[in-house]
Amino acid sequence: MLSSRCFTYLALLGVVAAGCQRPAPPALPTTVQLVAAASLPAEPDDPAWERAPEFVAALIPQDLVDPRLMQATTAALRVRALTDGKRAAFRLEWADASEDNGAGPNTFSDGCAVQLPAKAEPTLPAPQMGEPGRAVHITFWNAAWQEAAAGHRDSLPDLYPRATVDHYPFESAALKQGSPEQRAMADRYAPARRLGNFMHRPPGAPVQDLVAEGPGTLRSLPETTATGTGKRIADGWSVAIVRDLPEGFASAPEGQIAFAVWEGAQGEVGSRKMRTGWVTMTRVEQP
Amino acid sequence: MALVRNWQLGREMSYWYPENRPQKQFAAVFDINKCIACQTCTLACKTTWTAGKGQEYMLWNNVESKPYGCYPLAWDLKLLELLGAQDWQGDSYAGRTLFEAAPAGERVLGWRPTERDYAYPNVGEDDCAGAVETGASLQVPHLVWFFYLARICNHCTYPACLAACPRGSIYKRQEDGIVLVDQSRCRGYRECTKGCPYKKVFFNPLTGTSEKCIACFPKIEQGLQPQCFANCIGKIRMTGWISPPDKARPENPIDYLVHIKKVALPLFPQLGLEPNVYYIPPIHAPNTFLRQLFGPHVLAAVKTYRAARDDLDLAGLLSLFGCTEQVMPAWKRDGDWIVGLTDEAKEIVRVPLREPVHVAAAYDEKYQVARVNCP
Repeated sequence: MLSSRCFTYLALLGVVAAGCQRPAPPALPTTVQLVAAASLPAEPDDPAWERAPEFVAALIPQDLVDPRLMQATTAALRVRALTDGKRAAFRLEWADASEDNGAGPNTFSDGCAVQLPAKAEPTLPAPQMGEPGRAVHITFWNAAWQEAAAGHRDSLPDLYPRATVDHYPFESAALKQGSPEQRAMADRYAPARRLGNFMHRPPGAPVQDLVAEGPGTLRSLPETTATGTGKRIADGWSVAIVRDLPEGFASAPEGQIAFAVWEGAQGEVGSRKMRTGWVTMTRVEQP
Repeated sequence: MALVRNWQLGREMSYWYPENRPQKQFAAVFDINKCIACQTCTLACKTTWTAGKGQEYMLWNNVESKPYGCYPLAWDLKLLELLGAQDWQGDSYAGRTLFEAAPAGERVLGWRPTERDYAYPNVGEDDCAGAVETGASLQVPHLVWFFYLARICNHCTYPACLAACPRGSIYKRQEDGIVLVDQSRCRGYRECTKGCPYKKVFFNPLTGTSEKCIACFPKIEQGLQPQCFANCIGKIRMTGWISPPDKARPENPIDYLVHIKKVALPLFPQLGLEPNVYYIPPIHAPNTFLRQLFGPHVLAAVKTYRAARDDLDLAGLLSLFGCTEQVMPAWKRDGDWIVGLTDEAKEIVRVPLREPVHVAAAYDEKYQVARVNCP
């Protein structure tokens, strides 16, 4: 009698315990879900991002093309995405203990990028910067450009506080500052700027719209229409990038996207980066 | 990687691109024995090309005292340590070049200087290799020595900067072999500043691109020598065009010095870049040190140079250095005169083989005044 009562209690306890178990967590998204939104947030800390589910992209080193990244650094990227039908907003977050936004001979900037096929087509260009005749569009955010655009690290005293300079020829008293002659002379000592290659602070800083048809072919588009903002968060960076959707994406059932992250403290620049392959991007009306 | 011929190594070697020698190759000979480190060359370059913002630390031309001088800091020492001990077997280099020693994932074995490495452009200036001991006497090589090494971009036949750039932003001009950074294409990755062993590519933080010595190509295109040559008060430098050794012409002054007399040698040929600035080595420094800098033929070059007083052609050609701003693609000795010529054998400049010497009397009787203070 006693044993059957104990059994009953144990059975009841089992039922109660089973009822107390946490419900299984919702499955993590396996695609980037592009959630419809009336307007797109420009700031990474906008509450609107909460409407989009978070996709965690595992990153791998770029080790296909020399120069390669031989050791993995940033492990993963957290992505949220919203769209108003014409443009898409992406929030990229990743762990990065150091804030690297300087630009010296051996100082490299943190950065991130989104890559989309130039056209939504059934077959995809190579995820590694596209391929000849099958371009990819890239929007690149750079922490140093953001600093420069904010007016920081934009002069010699910013870069080298103890440096002194006797004379710049283009700041001679004989030249009227800001005159065409003075600006032309200053440009003679900055040929990249003269040629419209603004790698210190591009016109659309802190982001730049780019196109590539294979490794080593990256070039900036005549105009950057994307915008971007990065902010430091507890574990690293949170960056919002807003850019156009690729041609044909509106009528395609789904699209593809790839991501890359550069850790400046590790000397990552150019092809030395952590990246993903193509990740499926689906459009959803509601999360 | 392609197999290319590097005559300075006496063998083929691996390079990122196939062999593609330009129609003409810019080259230079620097006579180290004449350099006094006045840095006029450095200033001539600085005021012409790198007086802009972000260029303050750049020295496309610099003169450093060897053995301790270096700009950037320990540029040569760090690289030699990275490469490790290598050897020559006779005229052939038996070691690995920077391209052959490149680790996995890299195109070139290299290192990138930090801001601190650029902070001491005159480190080791005039520092001797050792102290003068009691009982020391003057002899050659000197017991205690140093010499001045003037450096510009070597406009290498196999540039490491060009090989290292993943974007193809660095190119070598077919018309003159000058190596340039395409300022419209560079994205400031700084693979070139890491790859160039001579550290003659510099990053401009205020343009975000890399910049380097351009061999004053606007002057070269007009048949004129670069600023650092034309302004050299020691007359240590000569610009010209070098041929591959099998096409060397004695009437070409650079060919004559490098290929015929073998008195001018490349800097660190073992790195494999086939640099095109050639040095007449200092006669007073120890062979062991010079061999590391200039390769296995350095002792023979020093002997040839020391015998130049009895070699009217060689002595004469050396006297043409610094005599005109024009590039002299050809030369000849005309009795006691040395003549610099154009490609069409038109005379550019004529100098005497021996400068006429006038010995002034210690005391000037006419004006009743002493002309020298040590009669």
